[in-house]
Amino acid sequence: MRNSGAVLILTFIAKLILQAAGVSPPGKPRLTSCRSPEKETFTCWWEPGGDGGLPTTYALYYHLENSETVYECPDYRTAGENSCYFNKNDTSLWVNYNITVVASNALGKNISDPVEVDVVYIVQPNTPENVKAVVVHDEQGPFVRVSWEKPRTADTRSGWITLIYQIRVKQEKDEKWEEYDAGMQKYYNVFSLHPDKECMVQVRCKPDHGFWSEWTQTTYVKMPNYIPRERSLWILITIFSIFIVLILTWTLNVKRNSMKLCLLPPVPGPKIKGFDKQLLKSGKTEDIFNTLVIQGFPPTTDYENLLVEYLEVYDNEEQELVLEGKELSEDFMKSKSSSDNDSGRGSCDSRTLLLEKCMDGREGSGSDQHQYSQHGETSWASTESSESQGAEPGSPESTDGRAKTWPVVFPQPHHHYPVGAVKPAYHSVPEILNQLSPHATPSNYHQLHHQDIPQQELRFSKSACRHSQSYNQFNLDGIDTPAPGVPPLPSLEYVEVQRVNPENMLLLRPLSDPNREPERSDCTGEDYSKVKVVTSHNILLLQRDTSHQCVDDYSQADQCTTQQPPHPCKPAVHQWNSVMPQEGMRVMGNGYVDSTVLMPSF
Amino acid sequence: MSRSLKQVAVLLVALLCLDPHGRVGSAPICAHGPSGCHVPSLADLFDRVIQHSARMHSLSNDLHSEFEQYFLPSKNHIGKIYRKCHTSNILTPNGKENAQKLAREELTEVILKLLMAWRDPLFQLHQSMADQQDFNSFSSNKALEMGDMAHELRKGVEKVAEKMRVLGMLGNSVTGLSAAEAMLPLSESGEAMSDYELLYCFRRDSNKVQNYLKILKCRIVPEHDC
Repeated sequence: MRNSGAVLILTFIAKLILQAAGVSPPGKPRLTSCRSPEKETFTCWWEPGGDGGLPTTYALYYHLENSETVYECPDYRTAGENSCYFNKNDTSLWVNYNITVVASNALGKNISDPVEVDVVYIVQPNTPENVKAVVVHDEQGPFVRVSWEKPRTADTRSGWITLIYQIRVKQEKDEKWEEYDAGMQKYYNVFSLHPDKECMVQVRCKPDHGFWSEWTQTTYVKMPNYIPRERSLWILITIFSIFIVLILTWTLNVKRNSMKLCLLPPVPGPKIKGFDKQLLKSGKTEDIFNTLVIQGFPPTTDYENLLVEYLEVYDNEEQELVLEGKELSEDFMKSKSSSDNDSGRGSCDSRTLLLEKCMDGREGSGSDQHQYSQHGETSWASTESSESQGAEPGSPESTDGRAKTWPVVFPQPHHHYPVGAVKPAYHSVPEILNQLSPHATPSNYHQLHHQDIPQQELRFSKSACRHSQSYNQFNLDGIDTPAPGVPPLPSLEYVEVQRVNPENMLLLRPLSDPNREPERSDCTGEDYSKVKVVTSHNILLLQRDTSHQCVDDYSQADQCTTQQPPHPCKPAVHQWNSVMPQEGMRVMGNGYVDSTVLMPSF
Repeated sequence: MSRSLKQVAVLLVALLCLDPHGRVGSAPICAHGPSGCHVPSLADLFDRVIQHSARMHSLSNDLHSEFEQYFLPSKNHIGKIYRKCHTSNILTPNGKENAQKLAREELTEVILKLLMAWRDPLFQLHQSMADQQDFNSFSSNKALEMGDMAHELRKGVEKVAEKMRVLGMLGNSVTGLSAAEAMLPLSESGEAMSDYELLYCFRRDSNKVQNYLKILKCRIVPEHDC
């Protein structure tokens, strides 16, 4: 007991001394790898763990699987330092080797971890040999043919080992190698190399189950300087472009007409409704001119007076389109009904009733003038009814801001044009006048009938109790003055319809009327007022609206409406009870009627 | 009556299909001789057989590495205790010289013995893999395929041997293997081998087969690839 204790203490002290002296048993060695180049021999390498300051020897021991017999490495030299070479006699395939390395020095030894090795799975062949790269000149261009030989040690002839090869190529100034698999063959053709550049080639090989060998030394080959005559490519390009050109030509040919239309749009020819082009072609000038001349048009004497009355056209709740007499044609141009078939309209809209711009003369009877102006006004009135638009009752939106033209002008009471109809919404002046002329009888009160104004809104410009100074009626008598109290108006002026009387007459009043209330602008927002009731005399009773600014207007409207004509309302009320058609003004739509209309025009 | 007959017929068909050993025999390549039929040469036969064995070996390699990766976390080599493979009784050349020393007939016989020895164990392997929940279906399918391949390979090698015999290259010492040759994969202790051990052993044996076939081929038909 004492002895063992003393021995322990002694060894401990000795170790301490030795450590102080810097010597120790060797470090643990480690087996790094074992490799077989041809599946017949193999080599194992280890790395020492540290010699501990004393000369250390290494020994490799192994035993085969399921056998306890331990053998030592037969050859420490052939493969170099820290290696063990197993020759053919010592190598058995398909058997596990259990290998350990023991490092030993004066102070002790150290055993590495064991490693199990089956030779069949550690095959790494030597590099291929004799790599050659040759430039071969071909009609399509030169290429490089790389050839090599198998590593000397590998026995592929007997089929013992099967190698597959891989080559890689790099041209100068390239960064990456391009790898190609060559399979089991011993040559390879490399194409698509750039001319006049040096080419580097390397080859390596691998057994079917094993590791890749190292790359061979680089083989250099210089590509010759040649101009790639890629004729086939140019031929392809040429054919393709010809093909495309052919297709384009054919397409253009087919679409000839539309191309012409696109590039050279046709100049719109004059189109005058009622004008027979054939007549022009047939060449009789008299006939031509006769057709151009409209009987009784343009209106002559009071033309100036009437013509200058301007219509005030209101659209939705937003705009008030004001049509000036002189500029009416322009406006009319803008407002084209979609129902009109006229194509290529000229500068004068065929539907324009005011043809003063287009016509030289201003002849015409006064009656025509009446009609003419009345046309204008009624047309204005009917715009809002917007037959062509087919507006639903109650919808405020039937127009999109365009001045609507042309009315349904009914020269005759029995001349019914359904207001709701789309098509005959517009008539050119000649037509209307033609229709008018046969029926012209004196002392007839021609009034405008808005027959069948369906349940559509009639919107009229708002100016309650504004006074139209020109109360226009049709009078084919040719009364010089259209109505009492109509002052001669300057040529450019706006007219506004004040109301539509029961006979569907528009009562107009020019905008420059001094009687107009100045605060019209305030009430622009209040274009419409709600109809309270229609009285027995076909009077619309309007509701008072909230806007106090417009109260005056409305109140006047109320006053005016609730009383029978004549009454002390400022505007003179026209006697309309002479002729009262059964259908008078109806409540339109949702009951909204512009209150200004209700006032008589005087 | 007809309905019951139908049912019986269906049952019979099902039974036939379910028979695990009821494999459809492949039609011979040229049943009616050379009339419009390409008779494969011995070299072609060898090529086919070698390709087949290469595929079989790669399958076994894959399965083995899968096993090692997922089911044996410890890469501790000390812990590996290998029992003897059941085919260790078969004397196989363990080197090139030894293999080259063997006669063609013996080499062929060794190949056939090996393949025969693995017929039942591979079937067992597939069964046990399919039963266990650990394996995904892919692995068990691989095992099944491997078993089929071994069977096919055996048939192919037998054909090659037949062809060689016809051509006079083989003596008559190659005898048909009887069922008695089939060995059960029992280790010395009598216990059944585990799946991993089976895979380990089969990987090695398939490599042997491939190698021997290549040697045989380059010895008999050395024209190309040798």
